[in-house]
Amino acid sequence: MAKDKLMLWGICLLAALTAVPLLAILGEVLLRGYHQLSWAFFTEPTPTAYKAMKAIEAGEPIPGGIANGIVGTMIMLGMAVIVAVPLGILCGAFLAENSKNRFAQFVSYLTDLLQGTPSVIIGIITYIWVVVPMKGYSAIAGSVALCIMMVPLIVRSTEETLKILPASLKEAGLALGGNKARVMMRVQLPAAFGGIFTGILLAVSRVIGETAPLMFTALGCSLIRFSVDKPISAVPLLIWEFFNDPNLQELIWGASLFLLLFVLALNLTAKYLAKRWNQ
Amino acid sequence: MNDKLYRIILFVAALIVPIVCGGVVYALVTDAYDAFEHFGFLNFLTSSQWSYTAGNEQYGALPFITGTLMTALLALVFCIPFSLPVALFVGEYFRGTKVASVLSTVTDLLAGIPSIIYGLWGFFTLRPILMALDISPQGSGVLTASLVLAIMIIPYVASLSAEFIKMVPNDLKEGAYSLGATRAEVIRKIIFPVAGSGIFSSYVLAIGRALGETMTVTMLIGNTNNIPDSIQSTGNSMASIIANQFGEADDLRLSSLIAIGLVLFLITALINMIGKMMIKRARIV
Amino acid sequence: MRDKVVDFAGSDAFLTDKEMAEMEPVVHVPTCMGAVVVAYNLDGVKELKLTGEVVADIFAGKIRMWNDERLTALNPGVALPAEAIIPVFRSDGSGTTFIFTDYLAKVSPMWKEKFGAGKSVNFPSGQAAKGNPGVAGVISQTKNSIGYVGSEYAFAQKIPYAIIQNARGEFVLPTAESISAAAAGTIPADTRTSITNADAAGAYPISAFTWIIIYKEQNYSGRSKEQAEATLDLLQYILSDEVQNITSEVHYAPLPAKAKELSMENLKAVTYDGVAILQ
Repeated sequence: MAKDKLMLWGICLLAALTAVPLLAILGEVLLRGYHQLSWAFFTEPTPTAYKAMKAIEAGEPIPGGIANGIVGTMIMLGMAVIVAVPLGILCGAFLAENSKNRFAQFVSYLTDLLQGTPSVIIGIITYIWVVVPMKGYSAIAGSVALCIMMVPLIVRSTEETLKILPASLKEAGLALGGNKARVMMRVQLPAAFGGIFTGILLAVSRVIGETAPLMFTALGCSLIRFSVDKPISAVPLLIWEFFNDPNLQELIWGASLFLLLFVLALNLTAKYLAKRWNQ
Repeated sequence: MNDKLYRIILFVAALIVPIVCGGVVYALVTDAYDAFEHFGFLNFLTSSQWSYTAGNEQYGALPFITGTLMTALLALVFCIPFSLPVALFVGEYFRGTKVASVLSTVTDLLAGIPSIIYGLWGFFTLRPILMALDISPQGSGVLTASLVLAIMIIPYVASLSAEFIKMVPNDLKEGAYSLGATRAEVIRKIIFPVAGSGIFSSYVLAIGRALGETMTVTMLIGNTNNIPDSIQSTGNSMASIIANQFGEADDLRLSSLIAIGLVLFLITALINMIGKMMIKRARIV
Repeated sequence: MRDKVVDFAGSDAFLTDKEMAEMEPVVHVPTCMGAVVVAYNLDGVKELKLTGEVVADIFAGKIRMWNDERLTALNPGVALPAEAIIPVFRSDGSGTTFIFTDYLAKVSPMWKEKFGAGKSVNFPSGQAAKGNPGVAGVISQTKNSIGYVGSEYAFAQKIPYAIIQNARGEFVLPTAESISAAAAGTIPADTRTSITNADAAGAYPISAFTWIIIYKEQNYSGRSKEQAEATLDLLQYILSDEVQNITSEVHYAPLPAKAKELSMENLKAVTYDGVAILQ
């Protein structure tokens, strides 16, 4: 029995230890980053290394912020969501309706494959597909990369949510004289909305922090830009830039704090919605 | 909308996935072709040269394949002592309780942290600690990268393993308890044998994730193009050499980097396929 | 640049004969001078003297400890620790690496044979970081490290850097004056020359021109004559005393008078439809 107790305590201890990195990361980013968050931080673009250097030499805080990154992230994410959500839902619906079909099983397998593909490879692919033909880095290329990464996540969540809907729901709809399309649009998808929406939130939170695929596609830019055919920045790209430049390193924690809070908030919202929807 | 049109629309949407996958393979193979043709497929994989001297360019993938496997496997080793207790905590000891759901929220959030932030934390917090403890002279290297990678894969392994631990039939466990077995014995003699293949498959899938992780490794592995001769040494993984050099490469070097991408793609696809197959079989049993 | 999509390109490395052959004729215009400094992070060491050969052996992994007798012999009275040396270098290809390795290849036959000079070289041990700022950052974060950094970053970051022995046997600290002094020797008319290890009094040995490279014939890709003139106006402005005096403020060094003359000569060779733009 003593051995049993020991094992219980050991397991509790080791399990509790896994919370340490989360708290350590949150704590560090919070403590080093909170004082940088200001109005200017969200409304001004990144300063040049020269300006930052001058400010450091003068002992002043670095001017500017990460507005160029926030705008870029929003533009690319927006474009990716517009394409990935309908595509993912339709594909998920196909898989749920034809689960016995050979082709559907093949698609399902490939969805897993795509989901497991390292993001850096999605970056290479988008570079070959979009950047090379367009002869330049662009927001479009960045959003294509994000889109390719979102689709499999949305397909999976749609398929799984539709599959666990009670079969009687669909049958009742069909019995009332609706055709399959109407039942899907009017009955099944609305009933599955919670699960699908949660899936979309999680997909967004997964890709919003992606850096590697954007390095070869969106490239980065120090201006606040709204055009989609030019290089554009993103918050994770800025963090990477700050990491590589000691002059700008002061800004790294504010940018990370912003990104981290955003991602964690999305995650918690998704989890909360999933719970509510399950009840 | 009639049924026929509806079916066509769904079918076309589903067709996108195979098209994208086919396009990925096609693009990687065509653009990697130059490198394979120039160096020979096997020679490319087994050469440890990565030299850009004009006129005598030599590119080989071995240092990066080694670096990738070392970091991923080491991360796996480091993650076991934490992921297994979390899985037992959530799936057996405190199954269904509030504490368990708090712990799984914690691990879920851990899974949500972007990899670039893991990299920052590794660089600014873990690296100085390793240097101060004299574990690694320069702080960066295979060891540092795999420690952080381990933290990153704990959530995946833990939640999947917990799922399989929960699936162990209750009557089996109760039978053992009624024969006087302790909890530790039940875990060792009933849960591990029954859920073992499922737990194992979750580790296989975790390797798949660790292999392709890019930013964390790039920020922590030290970025040298040599085969790491110990776990403290610096190196490069397949993903990190691509992240480091893709933006500035052209011609043969670009093709070689894409060839490394192809190899990485094939290895992760293979590992993921094996993992998924094992999971499917484990679920049936 | 090769694809004629930009007006001009800045570079720390001149084009090789092979690169020149692959392109339309171009003109190299030196705009200012820079240097590569050997920066280090050693507790309590304020002054470090090095020779080119010792630097080569450190980066080749032959001298591994700070208290190696060749280092202590050069630095009598300096307390060098019994710790391993951690070389830091560039993970990306760069003109800085070219200048540095070009120098090492000139002073060390071993380096020339084993590693050569290039924008990227396979350093055998140590750690790499992205960009000059990245290397400067890693050095300042890593005790017992040594690395090479573009002078503009080292001066700005105020990290300590070594005094290097030049071709005349003098130990020289990189400063705006000692860097400019390296251009005092003979320079070919097209200015495509390496001035590392310059045989000139007071010259810092790892110095180099920073060039702007433009097409000799400016009528390409539909550029108008006005655009071409504007480009040249800008370059003339860069060479003016006003701008040259700013160079040291941004931690570069001004061109000496003779080099400036050559720059102007080269600018005058630039044509539009075969007619010289500057008269």
